[in-house]
Amino acid sequence: MRRAFGVAAALAALLAAGAAVGQGAGVKKRRPLPQEYGRVVLDNHSTASRMAPVAFDHWLHRARFTCRLCHVDVGFAMKAGATDVRAADNQRGFYCGACHDRKTVFDGKKLFGACGPGTAGESCARCHSVGKQVTPEVDFTAFTRGLPRGRFGNGVDWEQAEEQGLIRPADHLEGVSIARKPMTAQKDFALSPKLVEMPEIVFSHKKHTVWNGCELCHPDIFVGVKRGSTRYSMAEIFEGKYCGVCHATVAFPTTDCQRCHTRPVQ
Amino acid sequence: MPHPPRAVRRALAALLLALAAPAARPAPPPAAAAAPAWRTEFDEVCARTQDAMALSVEELRSLVARCDALLPALEKLAESERKVFTRRLQACRSLYQFVLDSRGQK
Amino acid sequence: MRGLAGRALLLALAAGSLAMGPGAPPPEYGRVVLGRSARKAGVPAVGFDHWRHRALFTCRLCHVDVGFAMAAGETGVTASTNRSGFHCGACHDGKRLHQEKPLFAACAEGGRIDDPAAACRRCHAGPGGAARRAEEFARITAGLPRDRLGHVDWERAEAERRVRPVDQLPGLSIPRRPLEMKKEVAIASGAAWMDGILFSHPKHSVWNGCEVCHPDIFPSTHSGQARYSMLQISSGEYCGVCHGRVAFPLGDCERCHKRPVR
Repeated sequence: MRRAFGVAAALAALLAAGAAVGQGAGVKKRRPLPQEYGRVVLDNHSTASRMAPVAFDHWLHRARFTCRLCHVDVGFAMKAGATDVRAADNQRGFYCGACHDRKTVFDGKKLFGACGPGTAGESCARCHSVGKQVTPEVDFTAFTRGLPRGRFGNGVDWEQAEEQGLIRPADHLEGVSIARKPMTAQKDFALSPKLVEMPEIVFSHKKHTVWNGCELCHPDIFVGVKRGSTRYSMAEIFEGKYCGVCHATVAFPTTDCQRCHTRPVQ
Repeated sequence: MPHPPRAVRRALAALLLALAAPAARPAPPPAAAAAPAWRTEFDEVCARTQDAMALSVEELRSLVARCDALLPALEKLAESERKVFTRRLQACRSLYQFVLDSRGQK
Repeated sequence: MRGLAGRALLLALAAGSLAMGPGAPPPEYGRVVLGRSARKAGVPAVGFDHWRHRALFTCRLCHVDVGFAMAAGETGVTASTNRSGFHCGACHDGKRLHQEKPLFAACAEGGRIDDPAAACRRCHAGPGGAARRAEEFARITAGLPRDRLGHVDWERAEAERRVRPVDQLPGLSIPRRPLEMKKEVAIASGAAWMDGILFSHPKHSVWNGCEVCHPDIFPSTHSGQARYSMLQISSGEYCGVCHGRVAFPLGDCERCHKRPVR
């Protein structure tokens, strides 16, 4: 009898210890619908100002602009909320307001003004849309029809779409971007996974620099320039570090193993 | 001091510009015809990020020094400009430093 | 003796925390009731039996390519997502052929839910119907191997090629070169009186590929880095995402705890 209690106590301790670690993992997360992938919710000041939080969908902007344009030149951080965008910033022509200023013409139409003074209620809801039924001006299904299909994420292979010239993301914004020389070619390289049987990873600088400038990834995300000097694990990538800064949220997700682990194992 | 004289001159010039920059004047929109001095210097200093790997150690050092010299001027700007341009400057300075450090490793 | 007491305790724990645990009879095992959006729309809840689909398709096809979550109600299926070709509508679109017949369209416009003969009722069945399910289950699973708790032994059924679950469907899947992972992972049991676990990658990847489990359920790819307990498993985390709900129940201890791990 006493022994049974001992077992029960040991078991309880064991279960409690087990429950304390590994939080956040262990369950299957919902896969977002294609149009939801890459959605960022910003609520630095919205709720406090009695506005709905902002929902920003990456797909429409990423089809038209490079990552670099917004994340380097316009100055958006890579983490939701880290930029601390305020209505006043937008009104003064920064962040969203760098383009959304009621003057810039895109596709033959003047862009709406972000948080502009005197903006009608309807217009606010275009961005401050969380929890509201807002019909987007551009329909996702119609917009992505005809683009090469991707396995996950937005269901679009953006890399192919750019390569085939179906989308032409702009990399320069007049008045914001600095005129620069084109990037000097950087080498592609292979990375060896720690796990036996996993194929080697081939990292292509070329594929990445179409969208990104050097300073988007170096040194904030990848500190080491010498191969092998930064070591990172899949667990860290899954947590949103290193490759996971983009590939866990906006770029094709890490579930598409073979897109990086491409080489046969030697 | 390992800096070549040209870099020192530039850094000093930037510092002077920075000190001369008006502190709390509402800045004109970024696309204004006559760009303020800090903006001209920023555009010049950060124009080399795409070909940073092709720059010499001396050029890189000089760019880092100019970034450091420009920072105080940017920190005095009105809130929006300050947030945007200090972040942008930080990104390009870090990159130059990163490329510089990588040279040391080779 | 100690071993027995421990196992009995564990079994009781596992059984107690599972509504559809080892106690559910085979035709009811793996039945998922989806009622959230149905309730909002005022229509009977959807009853989904895994056995109808798992004999035909891999877990991966529906839980990755189609994108169903692995907890009831998590996916957010609505009539509108089905009509736009997501979720059930990814296959049940009125056009895709199965055994040379077009599949019924899920939540088709103009469907009459009040009509007991309407296609709506195939999924929106509401409560009851256990007798009919048992009959169909017996017919569909006739001749398939059983495990010691009387459930279909799907692993053996597949290994013996009595079921050939389809892993890719045109228009839905984008094929990738399969990743071969043959590693058998030895996992030490947290309890001294329990045998160690031998986890087989090949047995799991037949149904799941890599991406059903990694990274959501098992983010760590290093053995020993993730720690989880039987309590977590029996409440539906880690192995318990599938085992105890759809895949063989936790009461079948020795199917995992099968060897001493050093």
